[in-house]
Amino acid sequence: MIFAIGDYLAGMLVGAATALAVRMVVWPGMDMVLAMIVGMALGMLVHLVLGLALGPLIGMFEAMIPASLIGMYGGMFFGMRDSMAAGSRTLQAGLAVGAIFGAIVVAGVRFYDRTLRGAVVDTGD
Amino acid sequence: MDTATQRKWDAASQNFDLFSYGDDKRLGPHKRRLFAKIRGETLMVAAGTGNDFRFFPPGHSIIAIDISARMLERAAKKAATYPGTIDLRQMDVCQLEFGNNTFDTVVTACTFCSVPKPVAGLGELYRVLKPGGQILMFEHVRSRIGPLGVFLDLMTPLSRRLGPDLNRDTVGNMQKAGFRIRREENVYLDIIKAIEGVKDPSAPTA
Repeated sequence: MIFAIGDYLAGMLVGAATALAVRMVVWPGMDMVLAMIVGMALGMLVHLVLGLALGPLIGMFEAMIPASLIGMYGGMFFGMRDSMAAGSRTLQAGLAVGAIFGAIVVAGVRFYDRTLRGAVVDTGD
Repeated sequence: MDTATQRKWDAASQNFDLFSYGDDKRLGPHKRRLFAKIRGETLMVAAGTGNDFRFFPPGHSIIAIDISARMLERAAKKAATYPGTIDLRQMDVCQLEFGNNTFDTVVTACTFCSVPKPVAGLGELYRVLKPGGQILMFEHVRSRIGPLGVFLDLMTPLSRRLGPDLNRDTVGNMQKAGFRIRREENVYLDIIKAIEGVKDPSAPTA
């Protein structure tokens, strides 16, 4: 249970940090493709730093895998939103969107993990 | 002995327990379940700082090797608390100093992400296992899920500098070395796996 809470908190932190980093660099009207590439790069950087910091607490792969998806896809998503001026109006709202995105990705990864878990080969001997 | 690998893990030994704290807590029950299958003469490869000794069933006599002297220094205290016998030795898995058909069980935990020549190392383990012997491996491998596999490929040049490769095909490497896969279980996604292999009783004795 404690690890489940940790997974969600870590995902929300990575999501919010990615949204913040993108918001600081991408401006409304910026070329969208460039904004998405920059967002992805920032997200990957954020996920590396936070993933390594959180890994010792919740497990390296359990931290890094969701964080990589949040950083990569979240960075692109937030970059697109901010370049279109379709992003959140306030910084707090932007961080909340990042955190929600992070929590959704963690939920998806945890659900996928449940479906994959278990024996894939068992000869029974 | 592979001195480059030795130096890398000597350096990593300083912070190894810190970085593996969460993994040990989270994955410990899975390791304990896998290692409960230990029987007979047992070899553990890549003992590290000895964090996995606590997951061994009590009462066994185990030889645990590692390429890093620094790791083994740290492992010594934990080996002393094991309710059985753990004999620590510095050795390269690719150049094992054991005779053919010596062990009934070989155990590894996050080992073959780090051995530079994994098929050669697994071949050595196959050699020292008795026919009918088993290998119990708790390993992380390359994901077959598209974006995750690509991510692990991209991260490997970076992770390799500090520690393990992230994109090993350990199940395939086991088969290349001659093992038959008895059981393969996904522990986290399809990345962390508990794998059981056997050296068939009909395998020719070298």
